[in-house]
Amino acid sequence: MTPTIAYQFDRILRGSVPFALTFLLVLISVVPTGIGAVVTPSFVGISVFYWSIHRPYLMNAPLVFLIGVLFDFLTGTPPGLTSLILLALHGIALTQRRVFIGKAFVLTWFGYILVAFGIAMLSWLIACLYSLALLPLMPVMTQYALSVLVFPMFAWGFGKLQNNILRHT
Amino acid sequence: MAPRQGTVFKLAWPLKTIIQRFAFLALISLSVALLVLGKADIGAIESLRSRTMDILTPVLTTISEPVDAFHKAVARVQKLTSLVEENARLREENARLMKWQAAGRALEQENENYRQLLNALSDPLVLPITARVVGDSGGPFVRTLLLNAGRRDGVRVGQAVVASLGLVGRIAEVGERSARVLLLTDLNSRIPVVLEKSRYKGILVGDNSSAPLLEFLPATAHVAPGDRVVTSGDGGMLPAGRQIGIVASVTDRKIRIQTFTDWSRLEYVTVLRYDLPGMNNPEDNPGDIGESRLGTK
Repeated sequence: MTPTIAYQFDRILRGSVPFALTFLLVLISVVPTGIGAVVTPSFVGISVFYWSIHRPYLMNAPLVFLIGVLFDFLTGTPPGLTSLILLALHGIALTQRRVFIGKAFVLTWFGYILVAFGIAMLSWLIACLYSLALLPLMPVMTQYALSVLVFPMFAWGFGKLQNNILRHT
Repeated sequence: MAPRQGTVFKLAWPLKTIIQRFAFLALISLSVALLVLGKADIGAIESLRSRTMDILTPVLTTISEPVDAFHKAVARVQKLTSLVEENARLREENARLMKWQAAGRALEQENENYRQLLNALSDPLVLPITARVVGDSGGPFVRTLLLNAGRRDGVRVGQAVVASLGLVGRIAEVGERSARVLLLTDLNSRIPVVLEKSRYKGILVGDNSSAPLLEFLPATAHVAPGDRVVTSGDGGMLPAGRQIGIVASVTDRKIRIQTFTDWSRLEYVTVLRYDLPGMNNPEDNPGDIGESRLGTK
């Protein structure tokens, strides 16, 4: 049986959900919320990490790169910095996904805590090298702590979405 | 339904893995190349960036509108609870400000008279352009804002950006209908300032924290916490006398400034079109040139 066009279209649409969602998160993390925080948690990083583990073929390297460059352009971060960081995150998640898949959620969270720490330090190092100055470490750590705190909420939401929309893709 | 796997798919599998590995490494290299090129200020990257800003600014404007409306609603409800007290306080303040207004008018006239007596050049005209903040960098490495006004609205690179409480930063990048503001707290920001009372000049240096540093003061300068800091207008890029903040702490090495602006609550900012006769190129500053003194000269 050859799949009908409607079926193919449906598949493509469902398959684009991780990317579309991450793109939306890029926009949301740029929009000023006025909550009182100067640094927002790394929503995009969480999304890339989650989908790289659970649907790696829907969140592949070119898409991760594209998201990173978009984020850099919108926030005025040195171009290439976020894409490099997100690609590193994607690479780590991809090679370690056997550890996380099908295990208890707490393990994924613990994994994120470890990986995100390394990624935060890496991004700080690259940014320091880029500007040839010792940047304050505090904002990086604040963002890391905030991201770790909101991770369960986002992972739960992504999990719901995965079960409802992406079960068969 | 399981993913369909034909024979072609099975044959292509190892090839696909190799391509994926290669793509990953290639993209990593591309990111590094972008970083290096970006550091070298390549024009192509700049224009690509402002193009992206232009395309996504309307989207950001749309998304930020409900957020804005929500904040306004919350503020309204908060105000409703203290309406009577607020009214009484405002009446009192209004009466006090009326006296100040009279004093201000008299002083302005007096100042103008002295200027005419001395035949002193008056400060050039400043034209304000008010724009909405549609994006802020939530990242830990830069402090910038995205505005929904750009070249077609008369915004140019280098212009000063002020909020209601004081200077915020200056324009770093301009698209057709969007602009990026480099906040004065950013690592790359340098603003010439002067201490309002003692007139010692210095440079306000951002370090990505919300309290920038005051550097390059004369060695003999006396600075105490509470001194007001305003722009000096040196270099002819920013209007002089715009308030920024007060000296918060003085240690033997560092002087930190507490800014008047609340960095997390910027909703609207004003870009100042500032024409210094003879210093700005009229070609760089088109638009409402007829209103400025450049046109009448």
